[in-house]
Amino acid sequence: MKTLVILGAACLAAFPAAAQTPDLQGIWETRNGAQFDVSELAEGHEIPYLPEALEREQKANRVDPLAHCAMPGVPRINYLPFPFQIIQRPGLVIILYEYLHNQRLIPTTRREHLEGIDLWMGDSVGHWEGNTLVVDVTDLGDKTWLDSARHTHSDALHVVERFTRTGADTINYEATLEDPKTYSKPWKIAMTLRRNTQPDFELREQECTEGDTGRAIQPQYRPAPKGDPLEFVRPYPVKREVTK
Amino acid sequence: MKFALALLITAAAVWPQTKPYTPPRTSDGLPDLEGIWQPRANGAMYSVLPHPGGFFLGAESKEGVVEGATLPYQPWAAAEVKELTQHMELDPTGHCHYEGVPHAMYFSFQLVETPKYIAVMHENMHAWRIIYMEGSHPKDYLAWMGDSRGRWEGNTLVVDVANNNDKSVFDMAGHFHSDALHVVERFIPMDRDNIHYEATLDDVKVFTRPWKMAFNLKRAPKDYMFLESGCFEDERDQEHLVKGKAALPADHYKQ
Repeated sequence: MKTLVILGAACLAAFPAAAQTPDLQGIWETRNGAQFDVSELAEGHEIPYLPEALEREQKANRVDPLAHCAMPGVPRINYLPFPFQIIQRPGLVIILYEYLHNQRLIPTTRREHLEGIDLWMGDSVGHWEGNTLVVDVTDLGDKTWLDSARHTHSDALHVVERFTRTGADTINYEATLEDPKTYSKPWKIAMTLRRNTQPDFELREQECTEGDTGRAIQPQYRPAPKGDPLEFVRPYPVKREVTK
Repeated sequence: MKFALALLITAAAVWPQTKPYTPPRTSDGLPDLEGIWQPRANGAMYSVLPHPGGFFLGAESKEGVVEGATLPYQPWAAAEVKELTQHMELDPTGHCHYEGVPHAMYFSFQLVETPKYIAVMHENMHAWRIIYMEGSHPKDYLAWMGDSRGRWEGNTLVVDVANNNDKSVFDMAGHFHSDALHVVERFIPMDRDNIHYEATLDDVKVFTRPWKMAFNLKRAPKDYMFLESGCFEDERDQEHLVKGKAALPADHYKQ
């Protein structure tokens, strides 16, 4: 009898989570240095570059695409030092980013990826695995960087993101990056997304355009998020060598 | 009498009578206006006023979207518009800036509703705005898209937009406003697939009285999806295309 009651209680506790999609809604931000060097958060602190890709990277454009107000791509958009808001509707997860008013519309009813198109933010298709939102991103093109340290990728990049709620104010974010033209094997970054708990906090507007000679831009810059120390796992900077 | 009747019919084309329509409810019990909407904005992106074919890049629009087909500019502002009409290179959207409200509403958008806020995602310029159903306009904040606070009046979504900067414009024809612009939008559901959109615009620094614009929003076909509009590339070429060239005769906006 006791066992039955315990079982029943366990079912009651477990059932709502199974019946409803987990709630990831709210305003989130990262507090780490991945924007500066994403390899800091990579497994083993090393990005498994193919030698030819590393050489290609060293010869490539040295101006961060963000300097031209480009859209940052995935996963970089998630660890830029600006808050973003997750909204959930039936069959749809929306992420509104404060950074340059980027947005992602992520259908959670499975569909095929688009073909024959390159998008700065890629094509995102999501689905739920238990408590985890899994987002499959392709069609990313080769123009975006992963950070301001010029870590690049090719148009073969395939990102799988996993958003798992780990507490009232935390989400564990993981991204697996696969790009056979650039990396010798898939590699992974993981970081904590923290809820912005300031009362009445709302996203504001960020604007950036290149070559605007007409009227002055009026950015509403936010100060860097305060609170936790940087989540660096080892001292910055990392020495990276070019294989010749 | 015949003349008056003809006027009435013309007016009715742009300003439809609101029939009572009760949309279904969302899971939160709100009038369900969710979905992707495609404005039928009579070429407002080129000019909110009636304009001939070939005006900038647009087709002819006999009606425009402005009630009375005229804008009540103060004299200095009317002169400014005449000047701006000749300088398309100053159009901030040509420099990939946000359109602002109501300018952004001439383009397709997806709307989702929650009790505390309504989110509007545009394909164009990857613009978005959140219409908060609580709180008040912030102080010391000006934005291209302003700050939106909404409320439900029956089935009508009413949105108060303030905190507009003085850089966004109404169209490519130089129609402009100041940072005193205050917009009240009304989304009136007409039937399952149509919303009548109205905006009342007030700007004491530029206009002599509040004025109104209106157009229809039509539900997008099933399976319609947005792609990406990343506007920031090569827009510096714009001035080479149009600088100093009059797209319209200078007397087009003779009041």
